[in-house]
Amino acid sequence: MKIHALISQATRVTRRYPLRSTLMTGGVLIGIASLALLTSVGEATKHLTMQRFKNMIGTFDTLMVRPGGAKSRGMPTLVNVPPTLRFDDAQAIAQLPEIKSVAEMQSAFDIDIKYRDKTASPGVFGVSPNWLALRSDELAEGNFFTEEQNSALARVAVIGTDVRSALFPEEDPLGKTIRIAEVPFQVIGILQSRGAGPAGGSLDNVILIPVSTASRRLFNRDYLTMLIAQLRDPNQADIVTSEVQTLLRYRHSIRPPELDDFTVTNPRATMARVTQAGNTLSRILTGVSVLALLIGGAVIMGLMSIAVSERRNEVGVRRSVGASQSDIVVQFMFEALFVALMGGLGGVAIGCGAVLLGARMRMMPANLLWQPFAQGIVLSLVIGLLCGIYPAWKASRIDPIQAIRF
Amino acid sequence: MIQVTDLSKSYSRGDKGLVHALVDVSFEIAKGEFVVVRGASGSGKSTLLNLIGCLDVPTSGRYLFAGEDVADYRDKQLARIRNQKIGFIFQSFNLLPRTTAIENVELPLVYLDGRVDRKRALAALERVGLAARARHFPNELSGGEQQRVAIARALINSPGLILADEPTGNLDQKAGAEVMGILQELHKEGRTILLVTHDDEVARYARRELFLRDGRIISDRTLPGHGHSTAIGGAR
Repeated sequence: MKIHALISQATRVTRRYPLRSTLMTGGVLIGIASLALLTSVGEATKHLTMQRFKNMIGTFDTLMVRPGGAKSRGMPTLVNVPPTLRFDDAQAIAQLPEIKSVAEMQSAFDIDIKYRDKTASPGVFGVSPNWLALRSDELAEGNFFTEEQNSALARVAVIGTDVRSALFPEEDPLGKTIRIAEVPFQVIGILQSRGAGPAGGSLDNVILIPVSTASRRLFNRDYLTMLIAQLRDPNQADIVTSEVQTLLRYRHSIRPPELDDFTVTNPRATMARVTQAGNTLSRILTGVSVLALLIGGAVIMGLMSIAVSERRNEVGVRRSVGASQSDIVVQFMFEALFVALMGGLGGVAIGCGAVLLGARMRMMPANLLWQPFAQGIVLSLVIGLLCGIYPAWKASRIDPIQAIRF
Repeated sequence: MIQVTDLSKSYSRGDKGLVHALVDVSFEIAKGEFVVVRGASGSGKSTLLNLIGCLDVPTSGRYLFAGEDVADYRDKQLARIRNQKIGFIFQSFNLLPRTTAIENVELPLVYLDGRVDRKRALAALERVGLAARARHFPNELSGGEQQRVAIARALINSPGLILADEPTGNLDQKAGAEVMGILQELHKEGRTILLVTHDDEVARYARRELFLRDGRIISDRTLPGHGHSTAIGGAR
């Protein structure tokens, strides 16, 4: 039989038994649709998480040290900072040969910022002048503060884009004076937008000021929220992590079995853990979908086997007008394939639609990846092929003499 | 056309042992003959028809079909002969359900070269006077009409041999006469016709009668023709 004859026979049979065809298609359709949808969402979410993580961390060739023991996994919190990590700790770490440079950071989140009649309450970060480089941040306009300005406790500020739109909706902020907790600061630069962080919040609602100015003029604190140590060789992160731990334990006079009063985080490792969790989730979801697909396949196989019994006469008649056994095998295999493919295509269409709809309703990321759909179609073909074998074999074994009603 | 020598067919029936459905049957049928096969049920008529129709293979013996020795043919070769050289007509029509008349008629074309030729199928339906019913489903047609669709299907590949198994068995007298009229026309065109029937009226259309009992041919005689007294062909 030629391919177009096969297709027209298969479409006729499909139309001849609408209920059966719908049921057979349905299982595969649901399986493929959920597989395509879940894979798309999983992949897109993973991608988004990585992106946000990268937004927050900046570069990956760094270690993050923050005060307090590691009570929770994941992101360091920036509020409730224990006073255990100090400026001289940062200087000591900077002396380690494997460390290229260290950036210090202090933060506060409850400070009002004013410009004329407008107010905002962004995160206020006192950072060292090398902060920008270590985080691979960029300025959109203006300049960042220098070592000299830091030493001189200069009252200068670099603002994030959220702050800019809150305080300077129509003005050029550069050179303007804002009040941070009633202390006047001059705006000298504007950061480029970073987008969203891992939790989805904006990373642009910030003001950066020199860390010395923050420490002595604003917060009156000599301890740090966090320090970032840049490695000379990113591959040595694990070794340097333990060196930093040893150094800080010595400086803080911590002896076993006492626990660290600080936490060293390797962003690369944290990142790997986050993606790992995403992977596991994807795998579970994929497993569930594959299960649905297998059930769909079993439905095809079962219904087709029953159909073969009901269509004994048809098989007999086809044999009598010139069908060979292999023609019958090919016909039934093709029918299974056809039904599965219809289910696959329908599933892809529904999966696509669901992804787009979800994105439109802002319930999920809009990444429409082609792989899950290609995967779905190939899988449905494989399932059709496998599930057609038994019914086709059964049909070919029908003896035309007994199947034809004389 | 058909040359059968010592043809036998036995079936195994489980613990009852072998059933000899046909025993050493030999006869010839020349091209263009109209032969009726008669005999009680279980006498081997259907087995003979299946063997001649290449739906079954003999246990022993020789079967030459149009010069081809088909006794040892494999499934694919037999399928080709059924498709191109033999047309089947059954008592219960055996049209595919939920399939239009014209699609039923086209079915043998699917296995010929896969090219479905609407015009040819329509011409075959025209031939049996049912062109107007091409789009009807079998359950929308009368028994006589269904049988005529089946004849159109049997004719579409222009086979030389028509095998008809009780073609009028499910039809009333008028429809039966119509069907037999068509078979008679096919015979006049030079096609060979092998007919199985119990009905004396129907048997009278044939020119030669093979009578079977217990798997053997016990009589092979020429019948007086309808208005023609000369039988074509005849016994060996």
